[in-house]
Amino acid sequence: MLKGWLVLRELLRGAAITGRHFFANMTFHTLKLFGIRAKRRGAVTIQYPEERKALSPRHRSLHRLRAREDGKPSCVACMLCVTVCPSECLSVEAAEDDDPEIQKTPARFVVDLNRCCFCGFCVEACPVDAIRMDTGEIRLAASTRAGLEISLDKR
Amino acid sequence: MSEVKMVGLTIDGRTVRAAEGTNVLQAAEQAGISIPHFCYHPAFEAEGNCRLCLVEIEGLPKLDLACSTVVREGMIVRTSTAPVLEARKDVLEFLLAEHPLDCPICDKAGECKLQDYYDRHGLFPGWFLEAKEKRQKKISIGKGLLLDRERCILCTRCVRYLRKVTGTGELGVFERGVRAEVGTYDDAPIDNNYSGNLVDICPVGAITDTDFRFKTRAWFLEKRPTVCPRCSRGCAVIVESVSGYPLEEGERRVFRIRAGENPAVNGYWICDFGRAGRRDIDEGRQERVIKSASPESELSWQKALADVMARIRSVPGPERAAKVAVILNSRMTREELTLAKRLFAEGLSLDKIFFADPKPGAADGFLLTEERVPNARGVLQAGFSPRLPDLDALAASVEVLLVFGSHLLDHFSEEAVSRALAKIPSKFLFSAHTGPLDRLAEIVFPLAVSAEKSGTYINIDGLRQSFGRAAEPAPGVVSEHEILGCLAAGLGLNVGEHDVR
Ligand code: SF4
Ligand code: SF4
Ligand code: FES
Repeated sequence: MLKGWLVLRELLRGAAITGRHFFANMTFHTLKLFGIRAKRRGAVTIQYPEERKALSPRHRSLHRLRAREDGKPSCVACMLCVTVCPSECLSVEAAEDDDPEIQKTPARFVVDLNRCCFCGFCVEACPVDAIRMDTGEIRLAASTRAGLEISLDKR
Repeated sequence: MSEVKMVGLTIDGRTVRAAEGTNVLQAAEQAGISIPHFCYHPAFEAEGNCRLCLVEIEGLPKLDLACSTVVREGMIVRTSTAPVLEARKDVLEFLLAEHPLDCPICDKAGECKLQDYYDRHGLFPGWFLEAKEKRQKKISIGKGLLLDRERCILCTRCVRYLRKVTGTGELGVFERGVRAEVGTYDDAPIDNNYSGNLVDICPVGAITDTDFRFKTRAWFLEKRPTVCPRCSRGCAVIVESVSGYPLEEGERRVFRIRAGENPAVNGYWICDFGRAGRRDIDEGRQERVIKSASPESELSWQKALADVMARIRSVPGPERAAKVAVILNSRMTREELTLAKRLFAEGLSLDKIFFADPKPGAADGFLLTEERVPNARGVLQAGFSPRLPDLDALAASVEVLLVFGSHLLDHFSEEAVSRALAKIPSKFLFSAHTGPLDRLAEIVFPLAVSAEKSGTYINIDGLRQSFGRAAEPAPGVVSEHEILGCLAAGLGLNVGEHDVR
C-alpha cells in the first residue's frame, strides 16, 4: 500500500518537472516569437537532419587524401598512419611512381570505418600532411560492412 | 697452434682483455660497449672513412678512430666524454647536411643506422639552409639492386665487399670531393651469386632490393632465425614475415630472407639462391587436403590419414615388404628421418624405401654446394641408403605408395610417372607445393616447408644445426613429423617419441 503510494508520488513528481520545463520553454520561445526580450532563452533544439549545426573547425570527420598540384595523391605510402592507428583499420599498398622524385605512391588506401575510432592519430602521424579528417562528412552509415570500407585513393 | 697474446686496456673505466691486433672498436664491442660506426665491418679491414667512431684515447692530443686503432697494453679509452659526443654529433650533422631525408619512401627506414644514430647521438635541429646536392635517385646496378646516390654516405662497404669477399669488384667510387659517387664500371652491372648481401651491409638505404621494394615497412617484420634449406651448406638465415595487421586477418607473408651470422658456416653472407628461397615459403603452396574422389570437401589431415592407415592395414603383414613403398626426400629433418626409419623400415618392415631429391646443381666455389638439399648427411646418419625408385618395378608390384615431396619429376618425365602411378591402386602425396603429381594421387596432404618446422639438419661438413620454427604455418598445414607420428600411433607401432634424434 505504502509502496504503491510512493511510486505514484515519484511519477507525479517526474511529470511535474517535465511539465515545468515544457511550459517554461514554450513561454520563452513564444516571447521571442513576438519580439519580446526576456532574461532567459528557451532550450535550444535543432531539427536534425533538416537543420544542421556548423561543425567546429577542429572537428574530425571522414578522412581524405590531399592531392598534389598535378592531381596525383600527395600520400607517399609510408604507412606511418597504418603503424600508428590504434584500431588497426588502415590498409595501404604501395606502388611505383615513374617520377624518381616521387617513387612511392599508394596503389590502394582503404580505411575501414567499421573500426575507426576517429582519434585522428593518422593525421598527426603523416609526414607529408596527406591525410586529413576535415571533409565534414559525419553521416557515415551503410547497410553492409563492406559499405564502410572506404577507398580514399579512389574518391 | 700459436698462442694468442692478450693485452689489457681500460675502456670507459672497465678493464678489458682483448687479443693482440684487435681494434678498439671490436674490443669495446666484446666488453659490451658499442661505439657507433658506419664504415667498419668485421669482415673487412677498417678503412676509417666515416669518422663516426671517434673516441678519446689518453695520451693522444686529438680524438682517434676506434676502428683503426689497434689495442695496446695499458691503453685508456673513453667513449662517451663531452668532446666525443660533440664530435659524433658533428659527423652526423655533416652526413645529414647532404642527406635527402626521404625516410618515408626509403625501404631501409626502421633499420637504418643513420636514423638510429641520429636518434641516439644527434637530435640537433637542422639549420643547413643551402639547397642540397641533387643526384641520381634510382639507378639499376644489376641483379635487381637499385642505387640511390643521394642516400649514399660513401662508407665504401659495398665496394670493399665486392673486392674482398666475392672478388668480383663491380662497384667503385668515382670522382672526388662533393662529386664522389658509387657506381659500376662502364655500366657493367653487378653479376654474382652473392649480390643480395650488399643490401644487408649498406648501413643506409642507398642499395635496396627490388624484390622487397615498397612491399612493407621494416618495423612490421617479425624476424626469426633458421637454417637455409636450399643447399647442403646450411647457412644461417633470418626469415622476415608479417602475420595479420597490416595484412588481412589470418594472412601471413614472408617478405624477405636475410643472412644470419654463423662464423662456423657462412660468416655474414648468404647466396642469392638461398635468399630467393622466400618464394618457396609463400608461393605455389598446397593449402588443404584434397581427396581426388571428392575434391571439394573440406577434410582434416587427421581424418584423411585414417584412409592411408586403412590402406596400409589392408595389406597383410608379411606382404607389406613387397606391396607397400615410400618415397622420402633429403629435405626432411633428422628427427623426421629417424621417425621414418623406425616406422617404415623397422615397424612395417618395408624394403621399398626410396628417395627422390632435386637434381644437383653447380657449386659456385664459395658457399653454394652441388647438393640442393639440406640434409643428405642426415639421411645417411639415420641409416638409409638413398636410391631412386625403378618406376616399372614399382608399378608391377606395389599396391600402396606414399610419396613425400614432388621431386620424382626432377628425374622422370611426367608421362612416365603417371603411367607408373596409374598401375598402383592407392597412392598418397605429401607435398608442400602444388604440382603435376597432385592429380595422380588419391589424397594430397599439405606439408610445411622447413621454415615452418623445427628440427635438425646436418650440413656438408657434418655439422648438426638445430633450428626452430621461423614462420607460422597456415592452419591445416602439417609437418612430416606430425604425419609420421600419427601414422605410427594409428598403426600401433612404438617409435620411441622421445628420442627421435
Ligand atoms: S582516426 Fe584513428 S582509428 Fe581512425 S583511421 Fe585514423 S588513426 Fe585509425
Ligand atoms: S652504397 Fe651503401 S654501402 Fe655503398 S658506399 Fe654508399 S652507403 Fe656505403
Ligand atoms: S667506423 Fe671508424 S671511421 Fe667509419
